[in-house]
Amino acid sequence: MDEQKPFGLHDLEAISAIEKEVELEEFNLIAIIGAGTMGQGIAQAAAAKGIEVVLVEKDRPSLKRAMTNLNDTLDREIERWAMTESDKRAILARIEGTTNLEEVEKCDLIISAISEDLNAKKELFSRLDTICPPETIYITNTSTLSVTELANTTQREDKFIGLHFLNPVPKVPLVEVVRGLKTSDHTFVKIKKFAEKLDKTAVEVFEYPGYVTTRVIIAMLNEAMYILMEGVASADGIDQAMKLGFNFPIGPLALADQMGLDEVMAWMESLFRDLGDLKYRPCPLLRKLVRAGHLGVKTRRGFFVYDESGKRIR
Amino acid sequence: MKILILNCGSSSIKYQLIDPEKQFALARGNVARIGMSGAVLTHRRHDGDEVKLTGEILDHMAAIEYVLAILLSPNHGVLEDRSQISAIGHRVVHGGEQFSRSVLITPEVINMIRECIELAPLHNPHNLRGINACLKLLPGVPQVAVFDTAFHSRMPAHAYIYGIPYILYKRYGIRRYGFHGTSHYYVSRQAYKLLAKPKEECKVITCHLGNGCSIAAVKHGISVDTSMGFTPLEGLVMGTRSGDIDPSVILHIMGREEIGLSEANNLLNKHSGLIGISGESSDMRDILKEMEKGNHRATLAFELFCYRLKKYICSYIGVMEGADAIVFTGGIGENAAEIREKSCENLEFMGIKIDKALNNQKRGIEAEISASDSRVKLFIIPTNEELVIAIDTMRIIQGEQL
Repeated sequence: MDEQKPFGLHDLEAISAIEKEVELEEFNLIAIIGAGTMGQGIAQAAAAKGIEVVLVEKDRPSLKRAMTNLNDTLDREIERWAMTESDKRAILARIEGTTNLEEVEKCDLIISAISEDLNAKKELFSRLDTICPPETIYITNTSTLSVTELANTTQREDKFIGLHFLNPVPKVPLVEVVRGLKTSDHTFVKIKKFAEKLDKTAVEVFEYPGYVTTRVIIAMLNEAMYILMEGVASADGIDQAMKLGFNFPIGPLALADQMGLDEVMAWMESLFRDLGDLKYRPCPLLRKLVRAGHLGVKTRRGFFVYDESGKRIR
Repeated sequence: MKILILNCGSSSIKYQLIDPEKQFALARGNVARIGMSGAVLTHRRHDGDEVKLTGEILDHMAAIEYVLAILLSPNHGVLEDRSQISAIGHRVVHGGEQFSRSVLITPEVINMIRECIELAPLHNPHNLRGINACLKLLPGVPQVAVFDTAFHSRMPAHAYIYGIPYILYKRYGIRRYGFHGTSHYYVSRQAYKLLAKPKEECKVITCHLGNGCSIAAVKHGISVDTSMGFTPLEGLVMGTRSGDIDPSVILHIMGREEIGLSEANNLLNKHSGLIGISGESSDMRDILKEMEKGNHRATLAFELFCYRLKKYICSYIGVMEGADAIVFTGGIGENAAEIREKSCENLEFMGIKIDKALNNQKRGIEAEISASDSRVKLFIIPTNEELVIAIDTMRIIQGEQL
């Protein structure tokens, strides 16, 4: 097992040698476990690139809901000219829904996109070990849980890696590839190629709370909320300033509404706990909104007000 | 002599094995769904024997290996040994400004094709994959590249430069390149024969109307203008592409619909043209059927298609200061009599007069369809790009200077 050296000290020459070797490595059949927002997004992005997907959910109703959502998402994409009817048919034809976990046996790659619950994920991965052949690579789609800790529950710590996709997966051209302490260079290179196959730019990150994207954005969202609470500017003013001043496509408060304020608060708490830095302490205003059940776009109320299609009305 | 012709796309390869001396295709076929599960190889021998294979074909190399295996197969094949393949001719989409004729593939040529990737990111990489696979599978067998853009490479600058800052041409090679060159070349040559005149005396307008549509003004053997431009989007209305459009329309739509570059690109390339106007189909056959049923948007799509074509035909008569013949080719051009009639309608004053009966009667075969008193001859000429590639390949490996 070729263990990585921590913090970017690994051998670049060795990696580029591996890159040449796995040039033709293709993942043509993958499994995605968990068909929530992220699972659906990853399935869509992969199927759009011609990859066959086995999408696993815990029960029939959840699976049905996921397939309906996916269908609606694709219809919206057609409406905004992003794809054609035949693209949609091709994508759906490549996604096979199932509630039987055993079916992932035939897949080259397993991506877990179930909720970020450490015990549930641990249980899933140890069960997968009894199903999948030893060469199958496991990916955990994660933004907070420790890749190393999850890898530990399997017999293949070298073939275990994290991917941090951002929502909406098919549109965000970035993915953070998260190396656990024992992830091998080989696995890293293969998964980097896989990300490229999905047309994503892969940024290599080492296991650390919040990686790059979450850590930076959470601090900024929190700061925007404090500015609002301290009465420095209105919600609209803050968003306008950041949008126009820094060419952001969306303001920080509208972004928080989109991500879900409960999720944002959970990330802040976890970063605050793990890094101990006050800048991650959730703004009391955020706590207040979450307590009131104003969770953003999904409840139609957060820092702003939305109609049922998610369009901002106030 | 036997020459393997390859046309490598992103997930498909079309091939033919041609004897260029006899101008005869011994076998043809295609591999579809490369890199996906359940790739399919369809192979047809000249005697009608047909076979379909399904399997896992991961990349272009494996696909070409399959093609070679089926060509050598005792049951369905046409070859006893690989060494019978004298050369390989590749269709390469974009030759940029570097290639004005077909060339023998050398490492230097491969590098130059690679440099054209920026101009044809959807095509050239796959063409190159095919070339590299053949280098490994058939080492020592000469390979020739035949470019879709080559025939248009002698256009005068005033036809290929756009009315935008000249520095952008210098910086990024933004200019009209034109496509379907091999087809325009082939049918114009056939037209000279039908006109029984040397090419130096001929002015021919060639209309390639298929999935993509383009038209070329071929004067004295040289393409002096063509409707497709920097990409195959410009010019005629096509199955799913808009053709000519005021560029600010798209900027305006991007603002109104809040869409980005990739959506706008899709809008123009996949949601426009016949399908966008009719809302029914991108296939001209369906449009014609819908028209018969009185569907007014299908009728509009048909009329728009013919109107744009007529506009181009007439402008190219101006460009060449006359025309001896107009040629229709490609799936629509060879088969849709309605399109040919409509786009030539009421042009008698320009010397264009179609023989309606002849026009309705001929499809898919080489034929003259103009009235006997038409000064401009009208022809249907089925295209044969593979044959051009085979002949160019043969001539190059025989050391001829093209």
